[in-house]
Amino acid sequence: MSPLIEVTKKDVVSETWEEPFYLNMGPQHPSTHGVLRIVLHLEGETIVDCDPIVGYLHRGVEKLGENLNYNQAIILSDRLDYIASVANNTAFALAFEKIFNLKVPRRAQLLRTIVCEMARICNHLLWLATHALDIGAMTVFLYCFRDREWLLNVFEKICGARLTHSYVRVGGVRLDFTSEIIDELYKFTEEFPNRILDYETLIDVNRIWLKRTKGIAVVSAEEAINLGLTGPCLRGSGVPYDVRKFRPYDAYEEVSFIVPTGKNGDTYDRYRVRMEELRQANSIIRQCLDKLPETEGQPVVADNAPDLLIPEKRKSAVALPHPKKGYFFKAKEEDVVPPGEAFASIESPKGELAVYVVSDGSNKPWRLRIRTPSFVHISAIPDLTRGHLIADLVAIIGTLDVVLGDSDR
Amino acid sequence: MAGLIQKILFLEILKGLALTLKKMLFARPVTIQYPEKDRLIPAPGFRGRHALVRDENTGDTICVACLRCVKVCPSLCINVEYEVDKEVGKRKVTKYEIDVLRCVFCGYCEEVCPVNALVLTEFYDYGGTTREDLFFDKEKLLKNWDEFIVTQKRPYLNPFWKPRGVPDKLLPARKRQFTGV
Repeated sequence: MSPLIEVTKKDVVSETWEEPFYLNMGPQHPSTHGVLRIVLHLEGETIVDCDPIVGYLHRGVEKLGENLNYNQAIILSDRLDYIASVANNTAFALAFEKIFNLKVPRRAQLLRTIVCEMARICNHLLWLATHALDIGAMTVFLYCFRDREWLLNVFEKICGARLTHSYVRVGGVRLDFTSEIIDELYKFTEEFPNRILDYETLIDVNRIWLKRTKGIAVVSAEEAINLGLTGPCLRGSGVPYDVRKFRPYDAYEEVSFIVPTGKNGDTYDRYRVRMEELRQANSIIRQCLDKLPETEGQPVVADNAPDLLIPEKRKSAVALPHPKKGYFFKAKEEDVVPPGEAFASIESPKGELAVYVVSDGSNKPWRLRIRTPSFVHISAIPDLTRGHLIADLVAIIGTLDVVLGDSDR
Repeated sequence: MAGLIQKILFLEILKGLALTLKKMLFARPVTIQYPEKDRLIPAPGFRGRHALVRDENTGDTICVACLRCVKVCPSLCINVEYEVDKEVGKRKVTKYEIDVLRCVFCGYCEEVCPVNALVLTEFYDYGGTTREDLFFDKEKLLKNWDEFIVTQKRPYLNPFWKPRGVPDKLLPARKRQFTGV
């Protein structure tokens, strides 16, 4: 697009006003889901072009992570996509486990799958609530937050925190479930499908909802792939790409679920995909809960998992022959982790979240790189908004499901 | 045809209205009147205000100044100073400070503590108007423990002191037999 500040003169000869109209949306606009600033180039109420500006929430998570040890770096991942922190924790832990060459116990895998899907439900409920509120449906917002509260209470019982869980650690999870939590989750999975029906009754066929979402921000399958969209945004265009199916991690191989896809690739289809995902997530939780009794009593952390406090160098004794008799032992410093690199990606609720980590043998990652879905989705905003009205921009930011903590890192 | 009737009679909107009316009349309200009427009771293991466990025999902390919590803290909010008692050969804590405004409440400190001296209590509604209010020194941390433990059943065992499902091999010796204070 043209430079932002463009000095143009009024065409004295012409009768019409030729100066392009620029408008700043954000960074404090409530419907930009955080601190996203969008410079709009308008013609009347139609958006000719727009330029999203990110970085207002930049905290340098990647660089910070290089100064903390592997287990401490997981704490930082809570602050990326703070709506589904467990999913981020899992992505970090999976990458680090590849470096440590750890095999996670089956019970820990099942627990991780359960909490990941709980995070997905939390995220989609919050997405539906805010998206509907942006578009103008207040009731759905209240109902969604009521049910999200239920899950957050379960999270509180599981790990003692409601938002920044830091539940997953390298080699497993930090705490086992109690029977109380399992009962509560069974109750939730029984009840939740009825709740989804409630939301659908309210907005699925509502004419205002249909008018605001059908035919808005249509992305074809090819375009979606070129823009780098992942997650529900890509599946809404009819591409059945899901990391859980293509590169299964944790216990996703054991559970059966379908990957919902849309047809037209508009905002309504993406909404339908997410609603189906809520049902699938619910059934995945149920299947994992059914499998939990098989692993009763197993540890939730791998035996050779590193301590939370990873030492800088590991010392091992080397026996050397003593000149007079016997041996004397000398401490030999060893690398805590083998040097190398690892890449892990998961299907986070918003899209594909990938972590690439390079180790130089010390207890800290030498390089930590995070590929977050929100950043890529924000870059797709100009292509999606061209030709739409300002009011639709709100729906488009909502349908892409961006979180600025995730994007700016 | 059915679509046309639905469109003229506002059927889908009426359905939605019926749902909200049903919820209004028959569903129990989920909102709570905090803090006037209802108090929230956090789940056991909630990571709230910090406290140092008071030893009932000596009346002092049971911290052995191993500095593991200082090293594991990702936000560097714990500051510990100690002196070595020459006769016994043991460390004695002289200063234990936690800057709560820096803390991220990950609970790593209570998990790595080999003697279970530190705990994130389930007390959550503390706030301050100055920075000093949220800077806990040793006396304040011990006072937090006294305020917290009277509300709890004895023996008290925090889930993070001895995490459920973590094999004994990974725990320090004193945590394996620990049953609570």
